[in-house]
Amino acid sequence: MISVKNLSYSYSNDEKLAVKNISFEISKGETFGFLGPSGAGKSTTQGILTGLLKHQMGDVMVAGYDMKKVQNERFNKIGVSFEQSNVYSKLTALENLKYYADLFDGPTRDPHELLKIVGLDGRENDRAGEFSKGMKHRLTFARSMINNPELWFLDEPTTGLDPAIAATIKDIIRAEKAKGTTSFLTTHNMYIADELCDRVAFIIDGEIKLIDTPKSLKQKYGKKLVEVEYVKEGQLYKETLKTVEDADRQKIADIVKSYDIQTMHSKEATLEEIFIQVTGRELI
Amino acid sequence: MKLLSSYLKEMKIASRGFYFYIEIFVAIILLLVILVGVDPNPDSKMVEYIYYDMPEEVYEFIIDKDIKEGKIRQIDDTELELKPVEFEVSNKESGEIISYTYEEKKTVLSKTYQKLNPDTGKVKSTIYILDNEEDIQRLSVTTGDIAATITANEEGEFSYRYFLQGYEKERFSNILYILHTYSPDEVDAQRDLQVVREIGVTERMNNQEAVVPVFVTFAGALMGFFIIMSYIYLDKDEGVISAFAVTPSAVWKYLLSKTFVIITTVVISSSIIVIPIMRLKPNYLLFYMFLMIITYAFAALGLLVASFFDSISKAFGVLYLTMIALMLPAFSYYISSFDPLWLRFFPTYPVLQGFKGILVGQADLAYVLTYSLVFLVAGTLLLALANIRFKKSLSV
Repeated sequence: MISVKNLSYSYSNDEKLAVKNISFEISKGETFGFLGPSGAGKSTTQGILTGLLKHQMGDVMVAGYDMKKVQNERFNKIGVSFEQSNVYSKLTALENLKYYADLFDGPTRDPHELLKIVGLDGRENDRAGEFSKGMKHRLTFARSMINNPELWFLDEPTTGLDPAIAATIKDIIRAEKAKGTTSFLTTHNMYIADELCDRVAFIIDGEIKLIDTPKSLKQKYGKKLVEVEYVKEGQLYKETLKTVEDADRQKIADIVKSYDIQTMHSKEATLEEIFIQVTGRELI
Repeated sequence: MKLLSSYLKEMKIASRGFYFYIEIFVAIILLLVILVGVDPNPDSKMVEYIYYDMPEEVYEFIIDKDIKEGKIRQIDDTELELKPVEFEVSNKESGEIISYTYEEKKTVLSKTYQKLNPDTGKVKSTIYILDNEEDIQRLSVTTGDIAATITANEEGEFSYRYFLQGYEKERFSNILYILHTYSPDEVDAQRDLQVVREIGVTERMNNQEAVVPVFVTFAGALMGFFIIMSYIYLDKDEGVISAFAVTPSAVWKYLLSKTFVIITTVVISSSIIVIPIMRLKPNYLLFYMFLMIITYAFAALGLLVASFFDSISKAFGVLYLTMIALMLPAFSYYISSFDPLWLRFFPTYPVLQGFKGILVGQADLAYVLTYSLVFLVAGTLLLALANIRFKKSLSV
């Protein structure tokens, strides 16, 4: 669905590159996470893939369209959910969706149905300007589905949302995936990437450091840990020990045998910890 | 279909916003001001200082004759104050320059008459008769009003020497010249030879009507230019342009739909003023065609300017200078003595002239159609450039 070969981009049209010679492919129906801290090149890459930024260097094919050529009809297959809500504040929720529906060539989804999916049913006739930040975000998210996209760009889809709404959004993404929709998910939230993505790419300073499935990454980079709290000579101690190293395994056995155990949990390395391990940078 | 949908959406947004009602409100207020506050045919405040360089009995005879014919009437004598002043008088024919310096203040008593409009009986101007040429020159210099010395030779023929300020249009001095050189029938023919088209039209408008061409010009030009920029920046603030950019609809349709909204509001606000004041005088088909084309062209200019700046605060310098430049031809319209050639290169100049003719129902069709074509082509080119610029500047 997406093929990127040796893509580079410079905002200043010089050697100062925001994206440096990146390559990756995304299959139909796949949910691909593009992970990195702010300024890593995530939004720039998404900008080029959506056509909001002009293609400069490399080969990019999106939904069967060569991005070197200007072909507006490709947007019939694409949906974009922006990180910042961008709806007409003077139009109602329903008017916003109806207007955008008119801009597409093919059949579109029922605006009422979309508003219901994102939990805005009953607010159809309220102006978007009266909505809370979360509601505007949900409306922006709903709008990105109006044309039933084959390829869906999701920029920080759950950022700033309360946990219940974020869970709803994640359910919608899973449901769309089940229908065969390909998603390109840009985020710095490793938990959502871990939950939703088939594969993830770590991008930092415009370069992709690795691409793999979350499971494989955990197997490759993650070390199984045990977190134990125990009382020794009247004082509480807490330690994290690796179950794969002999010295730590022996220490776990000694603690269990000799001290009063308060809590004991097995723990897997998170995607965030793996990111830090691989890139040496935190996801801020 | 997409264009229609965009237009309807833009109209909905505009009608729920501030700028739309500002224009309508301004038009209504202006209409009320014109109808209530502007006398269509007020008494003229024109003043003339005259010195009759001839025996007293001759000029008294002339005055008496005019009084009997109802052309003038005598009122109470007026005390005129002559201020200290220093000036030069240049003779247009001989080129001779004479300098005058008056250091003392002086008060003179002047016989005073009012020149009357024979049709309405209303006062056209006030005439002050003084007994020497220096005094009328001093008064002319300090007040900016016209002064003249009228001389009679032995054959009883009159000659006129006018003192002008030096900045009057050549046409004006030529008309003064031919007024006393040709027979009355020939004066009209000579005036036509001298004519700058727009003055003839203005003279056929009353004071209320004379406001209308300026209003419609600036409703179309300034409002088209300024308000479309405001709409674009509102959209930029909301980020909806980026959302539009990821749809199959072309950017030019978005830009054109904005332009159509501006045209609609300008047509409404202009109609509020034009219809009640001009009534059946204008050729409305020509008027609305010209108005829509002008608004389209200036809105396209606004779109192009808006494409270069991220916010209205960054665009403010260009916005301000452009609006001042567009307003300059209005000075020429209201101050007939100010009509330099360079002013005619400002785009609102021909627009103002075009509207003047159309609104009094005496449009020069070739002039209006030529400029309509020019503005239509220019507007389309500007819109095409704005389209290219917007495609480049729409980003994440």
